[in-house]
Amino acid sequence: MTRLHKGLAIISLCALGLTACAKTDEPGVAQSPGQQQGAVRIGISLPLTGDFSEPGKGIQEGYQVWADRVNAKGGLLGRKVELIFRDDASDPNRVSSDYESLITQDKVDLVFGPFSSRLVIPAAKVAESYDMLFVEPAGAAAEVFEQGFTRLFYAAPAIADDHYNYLADYLVKLPADQRPKTAAYASLDDPFAQGTAYGLRDKLAAAGIKTVVDEVYPPETTDFAPIAAKIAAAKPDVVVGGTQFEDAVGLVRALQELKVQPKLAAFSTGPTLPEFPDAVKDAAEHIVSPVGWSAVADFPGNQEMVARYREMFGSEPHEDAANGYTVGQIVEAAVNAVQCVDPSPTCQDKLTDHLRQGTFQTVVGPLSFDEKGRPEQAHMIQQYVGGKVEIVLPEQAGTTGLVYPKQAW
Amino acid sequence: MTLLLQGLALGVLTGGLYALLASGLSLYFGVMRVVMVAHPAFLFLAAYLTYTAHTAFGVDPFLALPVTVPLFFALGVAVQRLLVARLAPDNLAMMSVLLTFGLALTIEGLLGTFYTGSYRSVSMDYATRSLTVGGVHLPYDKIIAFSVAALTLAVLFAVLVKSRFGRALRATIQHREAARLVGIPTERVAGYGFGVGLATAAVGGAVLALITPFFPASHWVWIGKLMAVIVVGGLGSVVGAALAAVLLGVVEGVVLVTVDATWATMMFYVFLFLTLLVRPQGFFGGRLAHRF
Repeated sequence: MTRLHKGLAIISLCALGLTACAKTDEPGVAQSPGQQQGAVRIGISLPLTGDFSEPGKGIQEGYQVWADRVNAKGGLLGRKVELIFRDDASDPNRVSSDYESLITQDKVDLVFGPFSSRLVIPAAKVAESYDMLFVEPAGAAAEVFEQGFTRLFYAAPAIADDHYNYLADYLVKLPADQRPKTAAYASLDDPFAQGTAYGLRDKLAAAGIKTVVDEVYPPETTDFAPIAAKIAAAKPDVVVGGTQFEDAVGLVRALQELKVQPKLAAFSTGPTLPEFPDAVKDAAEHIVSPVGWSAVADFPGNQEMVARYREMFGSEPHEDAANGYTVGQIVEAAVNAVQCVDPSPTCQDKLTDHLRQGTFQTVVGPLSFDEKGRPEQAHMIQQYVGGKVEIVLPEQAGTTGLVYPKQAW
Repeated sequence: MTLLLQGLALGVLTGGLYALLASGLSLYFGVMRVVMVAHPAFLFLAAYLTYTAHTAFGVDPFLALPVTVPLFFALGVAVQRLLVARLAPDNLAMMSVLLTFGLALTIEGLLGTFYTGSYRSVSMDYATRSLTVGGVHLPYDKIIAFSVAALTLAVLFAVLVKSRFGRALRATIQHREAARLVGIPTERVAGYGFGVGLATAAVGGAVLALITPFFPASHWVWIGKLMAVIVVGGLGSVVGAALAAVLLGVVEGVVLVTVDATWATMMFYVFLFLTLLVRPQGFFGGRLAHRF
């Protein structure tokens, strides 16, 4: 008897929950025509505090620069753009509830994505469940695209595995006597960092460049000397680090201390930050990294964004801001093409369909997407040459040639 | 074989660094049974101050010590007298975790406000060179860290064993009531003990600044490692912590070169579990520490 009661209670609670959901869902759709006159409200949750606060703020600046430009030109379909930011403190639970409330309480017209694969996945799940288009600036890990999302698009040139494609092509095409024969890989245990290193590893291994060291280290690693010792013992021609910042610096210093002199050293992420040359001094020379955006590139709207960013924030723009701006550019193009911007499934469907088939001119270059929302382009390759960051690959976008082999550090 | 020797040598040197970073922790626990979660946060506070001294005046990281060591000693006394001493004594260990966790967050927040979240680093030319002995490379920054650790621990040990203050402090560690009965002002001694602990953080922070880049949240990865060191060493035993630090440093280095980095990091926790299972008072703590 008690069991029956409990069962009934559970069923009625579930039913209540369902009706509650349905109720909050409906007015959102019903009210949308009424809201047409007001501003276009865009809901965004970002890690403004916690682990990802630096890149989170960078993305926020990119979104703000984009909104500022759109509003200066009369808005989206004649309506002003209003950005609603939430701080998820880099917490995957907070990010879900943020998007939940942005969509159901604030009834935003559009949502833009947060920073980092770890937050993009829970956020996209929420957006997906409300049939909202979800363009995101920073979820490059392979897992993001394996969740079965149908409305997610990654607004950057390439997913992690393709970051080093131009470098892999360059190395593979070198004449046999100059080609490196061995390569060592050390990567942080992180889906994005590993993806970049393994993408290059698999391409080089397929071309016959032998993998002599393949290390993965956990994020709490503080001492890189023993990893460098392993690399030193293998004397590789190429050293590749699937790194973020601290570990890139740690590895470079440890490799110097253990007198490893490879012909080519590639590190993901770390060297693209302005703090990098301060931390490793002259050892930065000739280090290569994949980079998704460059302030000197000639892509449509890039110089306008750079100028507007400098004006608004009084400092130099960076890749995170560019990625945020790119999200805005893509959604803007879709809205203008399909002539609607509201949270109704019909409109969100039209926007999604448009994104899937088109190619979009952005500050990181022309972008198009495959059926899972993966961008189909590759990252440029940067190198420190004469103490300055230069774009070296692909050749047509390059500001100078790739220096290989590198000088001793 | 060379690789194994290399791993061993690096392990010993890194172990020295761990000993320095953990020595303060073991002192707080010994003196007051305070679990000081904020110790690594203070280490990075010292690292930031060292960075400021280095960038503003161009001085070597170690030349900042005459300023930071007394400053941290005073800070330690203040923290003990104003905050820790007010905690209810019957559940001090638990409450101190909460209090110092809050302190750690406060320091992290302040560092974020003043220095922003971007990475800072102090890079000296000597920090990327190494001494080569029979095919084994000994990085200078690690040799320096080891020497500074050895020197600091020697001074600490001498103070604890030889000086009148040291005897009073040890008496306070061993039996607070008895110490009070023979006329030791245990409250004041405990404050000074805390100050000495934080003074070691000033030295440790200078060394950390030299060997690794840092940002305000860097301290979290160190808490687990350092706690493992002092539990394996025997809570409250400075010598035990030092020996355990070198042991764990060597195990980490050797496992890293022979197996991989994931196992090497896990070794800290493997040893922590073994210690708690087999000898909860710690391997080097002995009679003195088993009260805790």
